[in-house]
Amino acid sequence: MPLSKDALWYKDAIIYQVHVRTFHDSNGDGIGDFQGLEKKLDYLQELGISAIWLMPFFPSPLRDDGYDIADYNGVHSSYGTLEDFRKLLEAAHERGIRVIIEMVLNHTSDQHPWFQEARSSRENPRRDWYVWSDTDARYKGARIIFLDTETSNWAWDPISKSFYWHRFFSHQPDLNYDNPAVREQMWNVMKFWLDMGVDAFRLDAVPYLVEREDTNCENLPETHNILKELRRKLDEQFTGRMLLAEANQWPADLRPYFGEGDEFHMAFHFPLMPRMFMGLKLEDRKPITEILQQTPEIPPSCQWSLFLRNHDELTLEMVTDMERDYMYDMYAENKTMRLNLGIRRRLAPLLNNDRRRVELMNGMLMSLPGTPIIYYGDEIGMGDNISLGDRNGVRTPMQWSGGKNGGFSGAEAERLCAPLIQDPVYGYPAVNVLAQRESEHSLLRWMQRIVTVRRSTGVFGRGSIEFLHAANHRILAYLRRLGKEAVLVVNNLSNSAQAVELDLQRYKGNILIEMFGNNIFPRVGELPYLLTMGPYQFYWFRLRRV
Amino acid sequence: MNVDMETKSQSAPSRERVAAIHTELKVEDETFLTDNFLRQLINVGEVDILVGLPTYNNAKTIGSVVRAIQSGILRSFPRERAVIVNADGGSRDGTPELVTGISIDDGRPASNLFALRTLHSISTRYAGSPSSGVALRTILAAAELLRAKACVVMSPESTNIETEWLSKLLRPIYRDGFDLVTPTYRRHKFEGLLMTNLLYPMIRALYGVRIHEPYTSEFGFSGRLGSQFLSQNGWNDGQGVELRLTLAAITGGYRISESFLGEKDHVERRASDLVPTLRETVGVLFSALESDFAKWSTVAVAQPEVPTGGGPGALLDPMRVNRKRLREMFSTGIVELESVFRSILSPSTLAELQRIARSGEDEFHYSGELWVKTVYEFAASFQKSVISRDHIIQALAPLFRGRAFTFLTENRNASANDVENNIEGLCLEFERLKPYLLQVWKSGE
Repeated sequence: MPLSKDALWYKDAIIYQVHVRTFHDSNGDGIGDFQGLEKKLDYLQELGISAIWLMPFFPSPLRDDGYDIADYNGVHSSYGTLEDFRKLLEAAHERGIRVIIEMVLNHTSDQHPWFQEARSSRENPRRDWYVWSDTDARYKGARIIFLDTETSNWAWDPISKSFYWHRFFSHQPDLNYDNPAVREQMWNVMKFWLDMGVDAFRLDAVPYLVEREDTNCENLPETHNILKELRRKLDEQFTGRMLLAEANQWPADLRPYFGEGDEFHMAFHFPLMPRMFMGLKLEDRKPITEILQQTPEIPPSCQWSLFLRNHDELTLEMVTDMERDYMYDMYAENKTMRLNLGIRRRLAPLLNNDRRRVELMNGMLMSLPGTPIIYYGDEIGMGDNISLGDRNGVRTPMQWSGGKNGGFSGAEAERLCAPLIQDPVYGYPAVNVLAQRESEHSLLRWMQRIVTVRRSTGVFGRGSIEFLHAANHRILAYLRRLGKEAVLVVNNLSNSAQAVELDLQRYKGNILIEMFGNNIFPRVGELPYLLTMGPYQFYWFRLRRV
Repeated sequence: MNVDMETKSQSAPSRERVAAIHTELKVEDETFLTDNFLRQLINVGEVDILVGLPTYNNAKTIGSVVRAIQSGILRSFPRERAVIVNADGGSRDGTPELVTGISIDDGRPASNLFALRTLHSISTRYAGSPSSGVALRTILAAAELLRAKACVVMSPESTNIETEWLSKLLRPIYRDGFDLVTPTYRRHKFEGLLMTNLLYPMIRALYGVRIHEPYTSEFGFSGRLGSQFLSQNGWNDGQGVELRLTLAAITGGYRISESFLGEKDHVERRASDLVPTLRETVGVLFSALESDFAKWSTVAVAQPEVPTGGGPGALLDPMRVNRKRLREMFSTGIVELESVFRSILSPSTLAELQRIARSGEDEFHYSGELWVKTVYEFAASFQKSVISRDHIIQALAPLFRGRAFTFLTENRNASANDVENNIEGLCLEFERLKPYLLQVWKSGE
């Protein structure tokens, strides 16, 4: 299956986020690798996804699971070779699957040669590639992001006897983007991978590139200028490539990252995700519709990226204090589940392994405006292991079968890069790909089905949205429209059966075709359209005039 | 806007659907809740908190009341599913629209308050003339259909309502498992004389429960008490329904608590309001004594105070009361209703009252003991229906005025403590003479 030629391919994409390290081990060393991932591309093709997003695979001391890069132009030896990566890229493209890779622009590992040079002396030519200071009193307006581990954004370097700036862990010094040489070098890094055939970058932690006194050092105009410059170079030298912004910000602050269609192609919609969980628990659509109503229009070539869970904690930075307290109480009663300002849990355990809720949340993920991202393992309902530190509890090996090491690796269990989930509910004997492939009604089969239905129309990826404010607040209903095509989505956020009357007067005379079973529902008449819905049920209807 | 007006041309659910709902929910009278109101309830769904607002032309005061309610819900119960239910008697001043206008949903965010979830404010116009009984019945029915855990009824007339009132009336129910929460207020020492001279002491003596405001326009109740009360018979006249709810809670063994709300605005009442008030309170109490005889006749002593949040105390500000008129109405009543009193009162009690009626202002003294005997004899005569029960209640009015005159005179210069002590003394008198009530109750059986 060839890759589509459409430059806006990302609008129709369904992205699968995968960690090479924990997906599949081909050589039995206990660590996932490129060849292992390549072997599983058929599985991903069967699932129906159209792009994979690889978490960092660069040489790294792995003190932050690869987000601490020590060499931007190589691959970590545990995952294979650069040639292995090339083959993976090729194999993915042959299957019509695009490849998105991480690019951590903001910082490097303190083991990166650039930083080693920079700290070696104040006169070193690379000194100015990082942000140094003789005092830790600068940029006091910048918040500390990793509250659980860091007490300051400055760290003392005993070698050069000065402070260096870091917005994340202290072993991740921030690059100095005021230095033109840094900007040039980072473009060269990106170009290296683009030349190889990589389709897109997820640019990590982009709001923090530039620091200025008397600001919070986030979303600064200078940062946007740098990002626009990268985009300009990308457009000049490549076609059909994409930049995805990781900027955990409020919608109004996110909007500038799209520029006038000249900055990022896509950005994660961080504030929406916790509100989907909140709406489900409250049985009330208000949090969801409110945040989407606050979401500004974006240029036609741009797209939001939606997700339910990812490799990080379920971030609660973009919620109010009251909402955060509510989320903690509802989803992380056990305090060990909390990390920084978030909850380090996977989708299925968050939803008490309730299949109906898992389906409803995925239904919303696939039907709200944006490109959905599925986190590896969530398609089979994998669990987490909160006894593992940091965010490692949601980064356990993929569960392929009920056999040895869940089919992830042939290595001895003690050599695995991370322990498999083994509890009775979520453990690999109970939750695995092989078993779910063989069951017609498994979550995996259901996910394949919803992906197929989503891809059967362009309306979800490119259409407009209009909320139908049904008087029943437990029902979240919206119309997605693209040209003459219209799809009605109705979600019951409640644990109980609900009746709802929808105002579909504009579609009087249309019949409703339920998109999963292709069954016909009654024609829209004079009266509001009455639907009764089971607990957590959702419908997708194609509206059609016959 | 969720105003339920049958004349509005909103789409109606099918008759079959509504009929099915009626049947399933066992609402006894099919016309009791309108289709439109049912549709609103369907949209609201199950709730944790229900705030009932009975209204009739309250546009002048309802704005501040609903704002306080909205604020109270958002502050004290931000996570709970809440609804405000307005049962309106046919207001023509836009009262229902003012109530429904404070809904918070994704189409109408709260202007300056943060709301975690949707807050429905719905309204229905019940059939018939304005009646607190029908209004409360509507609210109770809504509470049952929505499976509300904790409910509160708020007065639409309060001009000094505080945001905290809602929490004070609801929290003991929602958090602590109480079934009825009645308020206590800081009132002027001469306010609520019927309460302090009859209802409180008599209920305390007979039922053994100390509830300072057993008849009030603001109170909280649990869903289970509401459901049980809704299923009781006797909704036809709907009179004194608030007091009946209190008595039902007492006799049903429900957990009762009091909450101190603070100062209560004084509402001016006309003299002509007394008889209807007596019907709604004393009439209801006397009726209840008949059905509750097995219970109250065996209660020996009053239990300790129910839990309360702070003491009410009394305000001592000057308050104008026309004492002369009270005495005149008492004396006139004694003369004009002599034949009625002969049917109700014992000869000795009547003779004593006549003696007092003839006395001058300085000698006028309607003692506590005589007052308690009077009330008990009225109660016994009411039970025996010696004459029309309504006439019995009406006949109590002049006597109450005489007792009020004495109370005002005795306490003219009394401190708040003195007033409380005097009320306590009257309570003890009611308790001491309880055997007398049993005696006159059973006489002639």
